[in-house]
Amino acid sequence: MTEMASSSPAATPTAPFARVIGIAVVIGLLAAAPVFVGQYGLSVALNLFMSIALAESWLILSGFSGYVSLGHAVFFGLGSYIMAVCFDVMPFWAAIPLGGIAAGVLALVLGFPALNVRGPYFVILTFGLAELVKFVVVTIESAVGNFGRILMNAPDITLLYELMFGLAVLAFALVAVVQRSRLGAALRAIREDESAAETIGINVHTAKVAAFVLSAIIPGMVGAVMAMRSAYFEPMVAFSPMVSFTIVTTAMIGGSDTPMGPLLGAALLVGASELLWSHAPEAYNIILGIVLVVFVLHVPEGIHGRATAWVRRWERRAQ
Amino acid sequence: MNSILTVQLLVAALVLGALYSLIALGLNLIYGTMRLLNVAHGEVVMLGGYIAYGMSTQLGLNTAYALIPSMFVSALLGFATYEVVCRPLLKKEQLLARVEANSLIIFFGVSIALQNIAALAFTASPKSYRYLDQIVTIGGASFAAYRLFALGVAGAACIGCMLFFRFSRTGLAIRALLQQRTASALVGIEADRINRVVFALGFAMAGLAGCLVSLTEPISPFGGFSFTISAFVVIILGGLGNLLGSLLGGLILGAIEVYGVALTSSNWHSIIVYSVFVVMLLWRPQGLFTRRTT
Repeated sequence: MTEMASSSPAATPTAPFARVIGIAVVIGLLAAAPVFVGQYGLSVALNLFMSIALAESWLILSGFSGYVSLGHAVFFGLGSYIMAVCFDVMPFWAAIPLGGIAAGVLALVLGFPALNVRGPYFVILTFGLAELVKFVVVTIESAVGNFGRILMNAPDITLLYELMFGLAVLAFALVAVVQRSRLGAALRAIREDESAAETIGINVHTAKVAAFVLSAIIPGMVGAVMAMRSAYFEPMVAFSPMVSFTIVTTAMIGGSDTPMGPLLGAALLVGASELLWSHAPEAYNIILGIVLVVFVLHVPEGIHGRATAWVRRWERRAQ
Repeated sequence: MNSILTVQLLVAALVLGALYSLIALGLNLIYGTMRLLNVAHGEVVMLGGYIAYGMSTQLGLNTAYALIPSMFVSALLGFATYEVVCRPLLKKEQLLARVEANSLIIFFGVSIALQNIAALAFTASPKSYRYLDQIVTIGGASFAAYRLFALGVAGAACIGCMLFFRFSRTGLAIRALLQQRTASALVGIEADRINRVVFALGFAMAGLAGCLVSLTEPISPFGGFSFTISAFVVIILGGLGNLLGSLLGGLILGAIEVYGVALTSSNWHSIIVYSVFVVMLLWRPQGLFTRRTT
């Protein structure tokens, strides 16, 4: 516990008032981005905040507890699916939270049995579950006779940007709150030693399921917004394992123990993607794969962790 | 009911099963000795397939001559993978604490990189060619000859591997590492050398399987993934680290797939495989043939 208190930034007595003002100004400026940037800039920013929202959400279970989910695409895909099905039936602002709720319920149903499975089995199980749900949706859609659904008259990109930005802020705040909460402490205890955590009276299963549900809701809503962005739903795309892979990479590169990590990881990956994706998608994916390998092997603490260590060393030398 | 009790279906199940056994064997060896989850295994299968395709169509050689080169190239890739990626992983205390999850993420990266390298090199369109496609009739049942060829080669390779594990010094050392990692270091087994052999052998078997796969279905850069998944299902059926179990698991999955699709329709193929996968992980993650030890 002492280690956690010293590592949390809230413990350092910088003027909290100035901090709040600073954060409010940054949020205000980013929310006003559509005024400053053009259509292209806005679409890049939308992708950036999508990446942030997804990777932050992933952190709640996988970053804190070490239960790596390789199946988060399932929540994104389900949110997209809900939006595609409900788009003509109800207003989109109602379908977005519905996507989130559906993802949360799915996480509860899948997580309840799956989170009894430990270690590497859990990782491949999340992947298997996500693929199973994907093929069930594919089969349902082809049985109904649908080969992709088109969303007519989707809202324009400015509104979608604001929605996505809101989800990213929400996800960041959620991670920051969980990090400082009892749940966050319980999840870290599980990561260090699950049996010991159980012995000292933490209800490990409840903590894991709660974290899994929390980490699924925002990806569901992100999926719903992205369905309107592409104006098209196709299960093989929406549930693609590449979505899960990108989420894990973003979080691992940035550093998966603090809400700051995904910001850095997302900035790096979205930047690389903008430079390379349109010209050479294969080259982008090859680089993504290699970067992931290098980071796990040589920078397992992520950019944020490495940078923090450098700053500390520099401060110590300055004293 | 009689329509599913044909010899053709039985042979199809055996061919698929033998290929799965061969692929899963390497995956299981690498997991059993080093606790590494090689999710890039299916890409090695595709590599073997591309070598067979290239030698048969570009060089105009008999596909049987591609068996050895594809094993050799795959073994080299295994060797390189071990040296570049796995040795640093196995050396670091911090990474070793969660070696399974870390290796899974690393190999996921390797897999994505290999898939896209293949897409750049061979384009994304599936490739197929003809070899031994005449019909052979044995005892009233007719088969395409390449199926019997694939079954024969895969079966021989599986038996060869089991003999190697039973009778050769290196094979015995590998089994010792599977059972007691620390104790085998005490009796003088050099883990680093054995790890290298395991990687080369595991990848060679996957490459060989890829050669045979290219006879039975078209190969594509992103087609390896389904083999990785099937191989995982197989070793979970048989038990992680249990070699005989994964041979039997391969035959079981081959039968489930072939008969499952025959009884339903090909739309259900992926649902069947993933259902077996999920049910096994939830119900008996230690495998069908292994007793729970913990």
